[in-house]
Amino acid sequence: MINLIHNEMIKIVRKKRLLIIAAIIAVLVALFTYAQLKRVQSIQERLGTTDWRSQLQQQIIDTQNRLNSSGISEEWRKFLQIRLRQQQYYLDHNINPSAPGAPTFMRMFVENSIDLFIPLMVMVISADLVSSEASGGTIKLLLTRPVKRWRILLSKYLAMILAVSFILLSLGVISYLISGIVFGFGGWTLPLLTGFSVQGEELDTSNVHLIPQWKYLLMEFGLAWFVSIVVGTLTFMLSVLMRSTAAVMGIMLAALISGAILSSMVSSWESAKYLFMVNLRLTDYVSGMAPPIDGMTLGFSMTVLTVWGLAALIISFLVFTRRDVY
Amino acid sequence: MKVNSVKLISALSVLASGVWLVGLWFTIKDQFFYEAARPVKEISLEDVAEEQKDGFQIVALGDSLTRGTGDESGKGYVGYVLDELKTKTKQTIYVKNLAIKGQKSAGLVSQLQQVEVQRQIKQADVILMTIGGNDLFQGGETLSHFSLERINQAKAKYLRNLHTIFKTIRNLNQDAVVFYVSLYNPFNDLADAKKTSAIVREWNFDSAEVAANYPKIIVVPTFDLFELNVKDYLYSDHFHPNKEGYKLIGERVASLITFAEGEKNHDE
Repeated sequence: MINLIHNEMIKIVRKKRLLIIAAIIAVLVALFTYAQLKRVQSIQERLGTTDWRSQLQQQIIDTQNRLNSSGISEEWRKFLQIRLRQQQYYLDHNINPSAPGAPTFMRMFVENSIDLFIPLMVMVISADLVSSEASGGTIKLLLTRPVKRWRILLSKYLAMILAVSFILLSLGVISYLISGIVFGFGGWTLPLLTGFSVQGEELDTSNVHLIPQWKYLLMEFGLAWFVSIVVGTLTFMLSVLMRSTAAVMGIMLAALISGAILSSMVSSWESAKYLFMVNLRLTDYVSGMAPPIDGMTLGFSMTVLTVWGLAALIISFLVFTRRDVY
Repeated sequence: MKVNSVKLISALSVLASGVWLVGLWFTIKDQFFYEAARPVKEISLEDVAEEQKDGFQIVALGDSLTRGTGDESGKGYVGYVLDELKTKTKQTIYVKNLAIKGQKSAGLVSQLQQVEVQRQIKQADVILMTIGGNDLFQGGETLSHFSLERINQAKAKYLRNLHTIFKTIRNLNQDAVVFYVSLYNPFNDLADAKKTSAIVREWNFDSAEVAANYPKIIVVPTFDLFELNVKDYLYSDHFHPNKEGYKLIGERVASLITFAEGEKNHDE
């Protein structure tokens, strides 16, 4: 089995996709680091202070003013209200939610890329794992070896999981190194708050507790990894079902982008919460953001994603082991 | 060479998978099986009050007037005060505008209970404020359902709140001069201008009476500024000042601050 996986890893590495992904991450991180730097500078310029308490207070006031404006949508109002309560909680408990530093940048980067950017990168790896063998005809060579079909597929699947882990590892390392040059490498032990739960427009703080930033980051990367595995599994299934890699990519791309759009407009369509693509923002539950649909929780989203992932996995194996290859 | 890099990547990936699994396990443990341990401590003013303070600090409190609603440049009178003061002093001036659109006196009272707001007031050299416009006009409702009884009820509540506001500020900071910008009548070109003007005048008078109970609270009138040509100085909502209107208020307040600053230096 190990040999089979090794074989698959050779294929993945030879395609040089991992390198390309690392390069894309590096470019994006550099871009975001610069944008973040500009933002910090403009806030300092506007307020004339580097004191985070004054800055956070000003953000709170700005949000309150926006809430009092007429003509803002119900969803946006709810989002602002929750964020406002949370910022006030941070301020009241003397904790800086965005102390400058590479770990803080990593945290924001993961939170913002978990529902689109990371899945896209995962898709680049897993979209052609099986379909390219089918369209290139190499599948016949693979299947003529005296190895059971399910073992071949399993080795591909495990190789995909390894590649996903590697992508997240490079995401972490690259974003730490690049943003660290600008913001400094420290800040692993800063305290952060978690355990907020959102009920309608209320922010429940009864379970709020402090955890150090390194643990917070580890948790968020763990969730990003979980999401990546599920997205990878779905792509993997499509890759088994279809010969054309382009079609696989097209379908996954459409699903992921529709998820990003739906999340901002499904609050009144309740059964949409069973779609996998509106459940991708798992890190929001850790940081305490309002979910797209009332009543969604971390447990719920993880269950939905697990069910989708398992279903995709079962379909992949059933189809692959029974299909006629000619 | 090729094979080695594959081995390296594979080994790293296995390692990373382990790390991310630990992360996932942390999440599950932390988010689902967290047992309420020690609650997170709230800060008090003593924890944060003693911090370095530099430059000349202005804190602005109140409602949409202080926020600058109606001024397309977004400055409001606070911005024009700042512009004026910058020409007069070499000190760096910091402005913290804590005003919230639509805020009534009761809202300001509760805002003043927040530790961070208290800290900023404690550090302030000058406090600018407008409050009461929403208590009186209630978005124009007062005029459409005109009733003296209702206005007097609102006023009694407002004056009580104003007492609390001034008392809180003075308790926090004995030295900062408070400039309380009083109301104008945005409706004095309408049919019952006489009636509304009388109400605003009385409102301002009673507010000034409250202010007189506390030291260093200066009531800055604006009623006269908007008495002639009110239309030229109002924004299209016919309620908030426009750019020109804010400039008038800003210039008036700024001229007073120089005097206050000079007096302070004289004392020292």
